[in-house]
Amino acid sequence: MVVNPGGAYLGADLFLIDVEVQDGADLLLTTQSATKVYRTPGSFAEQRMAVRLGEGARLELMPDQLIAYREASYRQHTHITVRPSSSLVMAEVVTPGWSPDGAAFRYEEVRLRTSVRVEGRHGSRLLALDNLLIRPPAGDVTGMGFMEGFSHVGSLLVVDPRVDQALADHLHVLAQDHDARAGVSLTRTALGTTGLVLRALSNSTGELNHLLAACTSLLRKRWHGQEPLNLRKH
Amino acid sequence: MLNTVTDYQLALQQLVDSALPTGAFAHSLGFETYVDAGVVRDEASFGVWLSAFISQSLSNSDGLGIRFLYEGWDVGELDELLSASLLPRQVREASVKMGLRLLEIGAEVFPSPGLELYRDLVTTGLAAGHQPLAFAVVARSLGVPLPEALAAYLFATVTSLTQNAVRAIPLGQNAGQRLLRQAADGVAAAVERIPHLTPDDFGAVTPGLEISQMRHERQRARMFMS
Repeated sequence: MVVNPGGAYLGADLFLIDVEVQDGADLLLTTQSATKVYRTPGSFAEQRMAVRLGEGARLELMPDQLIAYREASYRQHTHITVRPSSSLVMAEVVTPGWSPDGAAFRYEEVRLRTSVRVEGRHGSRLLALDNLLIRPPAGDVTGMGFMEGFSHVGSLLVVDPRVDQALADHLHVLAQDHDARAGVSLTRTALGTTGLVLRALSNSTGELNHLLAACTSLLRKRWHGQEPLNLRKH
Repeated sequence: MLNTVTDYQLALQQLVDSALPTGAFAHSLGFETYVDAGVVRDEASFGVWLSAFISQSLSNSDGLGIRFLYEGWDVGELDELLSASLLPRQVREASVKMGLRLLEIGAEVFPSPGLELYRDLVTTGLAAGHQPLAFAVVARSLGVPLPEALAAYLFATVTSLTQNAVRAIPLGQNAGQRLLRQAADGVAAAVERIPHLTPDDFGAVTPGLEISQMRHERQRARMFMS
């Protein structure tokens, strides 16, 4: 459990998180509550997270949603290193915070940059670089090719040697049952492992959480014979 | 009296001509998803998509990749960055498909040591062979200055996408020409902006374009491979 320090992120805040899951170990990592980013005038709040998974190690990284309030700038850099036999499931939701005039997208910028590197016996390869950038003041962020009229975005990143096209297709079908516009695609394959990215737009945190929970539950059941997660936080 | 045509001008024209057989006619890079949904349906709506595409994917992936190559970044490292950051599978495959054709054509008509090196990396499986990098390697070997190379590449991509939209939506030929003239402003703005981007901007994209590029994989009837 990561307890959000001080309740919220403010301008010039820098949070460093290092996580190592050793060979064969299992970790479920979540937050105590939503990550809130308040006004960061002339600056930005930043989180840098380094994650390392050993052989056969498993990590489920399930933070609560990120809420970016009016005039907030936030940069999140997540560097993940896996072994070919590691298993990673990471789910995130970005939500615009309340603003006095009721409009969404009053934040300045949200950047979520996640890289996944696979380390083999003879060197390493970059498997995926997911670089999400939402910058409302830069133009028509709500429109076509940007947020498509939606206010919330959810992402699921899975890296596991069992990831294949059939799984991507299955998750796509699953996403059809939710009030969200979703896309699923496989990353490149490197050193025997493959990633999968699901990205979804919606107008509700709840809807995106349901969709992501449906996906992670399917993976827990299929790969580990486990029940759906129930974090009982709220 | 006519000025002498600079050494690279005609070569650059050949390199970005839509008749260059790289197969660009087979790719919508995601706009067909919007056509299928009825969202892109005329000149104006395609113009909106094109402008979003230029300011995001085309600038932050292709354009930035070309600039970094010109600045001396390792071509193998850039190739891997592109393979990793083009998350929608069809777009990644499109970049490699057209890139491999460009490497092949380049080897015959614009050979250079830099191009040989990139081809060797591809042959030995150390690189995939991406279109913007293949283009940048050739353009740089011909002595094309970076701003001209960027403008030529971006506008060539815009031209083939517009030609594809003229066929797919369909639009009139004159509408296609009006769109191109309008897109020239977006391309010029991108050429201005790309030198100011940072490595953190590489591959940065807002979700809409990407989701549509991913959804294209499962579209039932389609004219394009991406």
